[in-house]
Amino acid sequence: MNLRVIGANLVVSIKSFYREKTAMFFTFAFPIILILVFGTIFKDQENISFNLYVQDLDHTETSAEIAKTLGSTGKFKITQVNPAVDATQYARNHRLNLVLIIPQGYERSYIQNLQYDDPNAFVTITYIYDPSSASVNTKMEILNAVFAKLNQGLTGKPPFIRTAVTSILTRKYRFIEFFIPGIIAMAVMTASLAGTVNVNTELRQKGIIRKLSTTPITRTDWILSNIVYQFILAVISTAAMLLVSYAVFKVNLEINAWLPLFILLDVFAFVGIGMILTRFVQEAQSAAAAANAIMFPMMFLSGSFFPIEMMPSFLQTFARVLPLYYVNEGLRASMVSADNLAALEYSGVIGAFATVVFILGIMATKWEED
Amino acid sequence: MTIEAEYAIEVEKLTKRYGDLLAVNDISFNVRKGEVFALLGPNGAGKTTTVEIIDTIRTPTSGKVRLLGMDVTKKKHDIVPRIGVLPQGFSSFDRITVRSTMQYYSRLFCCIDPDIDGLIELVNLKDKAEVQYKNLSGGLRQRLGIAIALVNDPEVVFLDEPTTGLDPRARREVWEVLLGLKKKGKTVFLTTHYMEEAELLADTVAIVSKGKIIATGSPVELIESNSNYLIVTLQSVDEKTLAVVRKMGFEPVSDPHENIRVRVEGTDDVRKILNGVEDAGASFLSLDVRKPNLEEVFLKLTGEALHEGPTGGMGAK
Repeated sequence: MNLRVIGANLVVSIKSFYREKTAMFFTFAFPIILILVFGTIFKDQENISFNLYVQDLDHTETSAEIAKTLGSTGKFKITQVNPAVDATQYARNHRLNLVLIIPQGYERSYIQNLQYDDPNAFVTITYIYDPSSASVNTKMEILNAVFAKLNQGLTGKPPFIRTAVTSILTRKYRFIEFFIPGIIAMAVMTASLAGTVNVNTELRQKGIIRKLSTTPITRTDWILSNIVYQFILAVISTAAMLLVSYAVFKVNLEINAWLPLFILLDVFAFVGIGMILTRFVQEAQSAAAAANAIMFPMMFLSGSFFPIEMMPSFLQTFARVLPLYYVNEGLRASMVSADNLAALEYSGVIGAFATVVFILGIMATKWEED
Repeated sequence: MTIEAEYAIEVEKLTKRYGDLLAVNDISFNVRKGEVFALLGPNGAGKTTTVEIIDTIRTPTSGKVRLLGMDVTKKKHDIVPRIGVLPQGFSSFDRITVRSTMQYYSRLFCCIDPDIDGLIELVNLKDKAEVQYKNLSGGLRQRLGIAIALVNDPEVVFLDEPTTGLDPRARREVWEVLLGLKKKGKTVFLTTHYMEEAELLADTVAIVSKGKIIATGSPVELIESNSNYLIVTLQSVDEKTLAVVRKMGFEPVSDPHENIRVRVEGTDDVRKILNGVEDAGASFLSLDVRKPNLEEVFLKLTGEALHEGPTGGMGAK
């Protein structure tokens, strides 16, 4: 390893990057935009509230009470529908996915049930709904739960089966806090892999690699230069992502020595893959396509954006052979659950992978031509 | 004086094959220390393949190449610090300035303290030192490439087609830089398809065609040894002249400017042509008799033009 040579390469790479404003923008801004978009979508996911349209045909104090109860759950913003209109038509005209109808005689039946314990006194609340809507099932589940609770309250008996929840996490975490480690892992991967492939195929096409082959620079120094350069970019990019996350979403994440370690292993692994790709793909354009072919499945299947438990089991098995999975999970283990043992385990797997790929990358890099 | 001390480059039975294509076919030659050696030939003759094997970019299929006494296939590590290379189609980092590029390449070599400003001055780039590579013209880029090739004060400099693609003025500016190198006593290995370039710069010229060296010597020697004929040019001839000369058994070649050129064996033939034209009542404006130049020697030896264009010789038959 020749520090003077690596230093010289770093100076040229960083100057070139700094003077290429578009590349700089996309490297740093793209992951931040992702965090802002997804963070906003999933912000306070627990406190999400739906619009609920209620047509109260009974128009009594008791029936008004039920609408109030629904509103007080915090899950619904209630809008009253004029009792005179046809609810089905109304839903169609206003493109509503759910209108709830409280029938006439609600109060009478309620009193009958409560005071005379009459089992035949009941009411039917009707859901007028659009089954093609994505959120309507969630709304109906929440409503069913509220009504079940009301029914249970009417019987006067305390519930027999009760539930208790215990989080395996020491603290309560929000979606955004699970999301950010995945985005860091993904952003470092894309910058390292695409950056390495783009720069190296371009330098080869321009003949600069050929010129370098007539200087004393070694393949190992060249790859190490690529790794150190990508690591510096990754650290800056990660710091920017974390700053935005703290400033905008007030996230609560553990930042410790695992973070730079996982970033370094991420860089090692994907610069190595980039060097191997550069050897086998000749044209810059096909190199970019080949890099995408590796990056996209990795992005979506390794659990960067969503938990792999949401995927069919064969895809989950597949996810576990993807190197990015171990960076995602390792970063989550260290940043979210502060589980050092798990982080150690994941770093072992990605570390072994990075070592193999790094050595293959050196072997694949070719200075001399045929 | 031992052979190692005398020769900077020794090439013995060098062959390079790409599949079925024989790019370099069993060539041998030596380059003396301190001389400017030019490999002259048309595109596709095998010049670049040859120079890239010698300067360690490519590997040979067979044969031996020794550079500064070392086998190029085994001692690359020891060779590269002692040579400087301007590869064909030289290019550099787009957004890096001339001075920073020089500094970059100098840092790749161990234990050197190059005079970067001196080199920038040598190639006449002083007022462009802070200009980024992407903003340099073709000629300036080549001059930067030459300066980079000199950054480690090499014993042997390889310049692969240093002026290809440049306009005549930029070409002359590069030649000036190369003449400066020659004065410094560097061993220079040059490939070119410009005859004037070889004639102006080279001490020794090797003419290559289809992967073979077909003649070697100084430009003067090459001309002398192949000039058992004269070239007669009759300018602004009238219609009859061509027919008259042909009738006398010569093979005149005409051009669109009403000139004809005839290759003759000696001055007797010149007199014969003049008398014949006069007798037939044909006319011409002026007469030029001279020995052939390198281009015509090349044509005679290979039957092909060095490069396309108006100076492409007197038409290969």
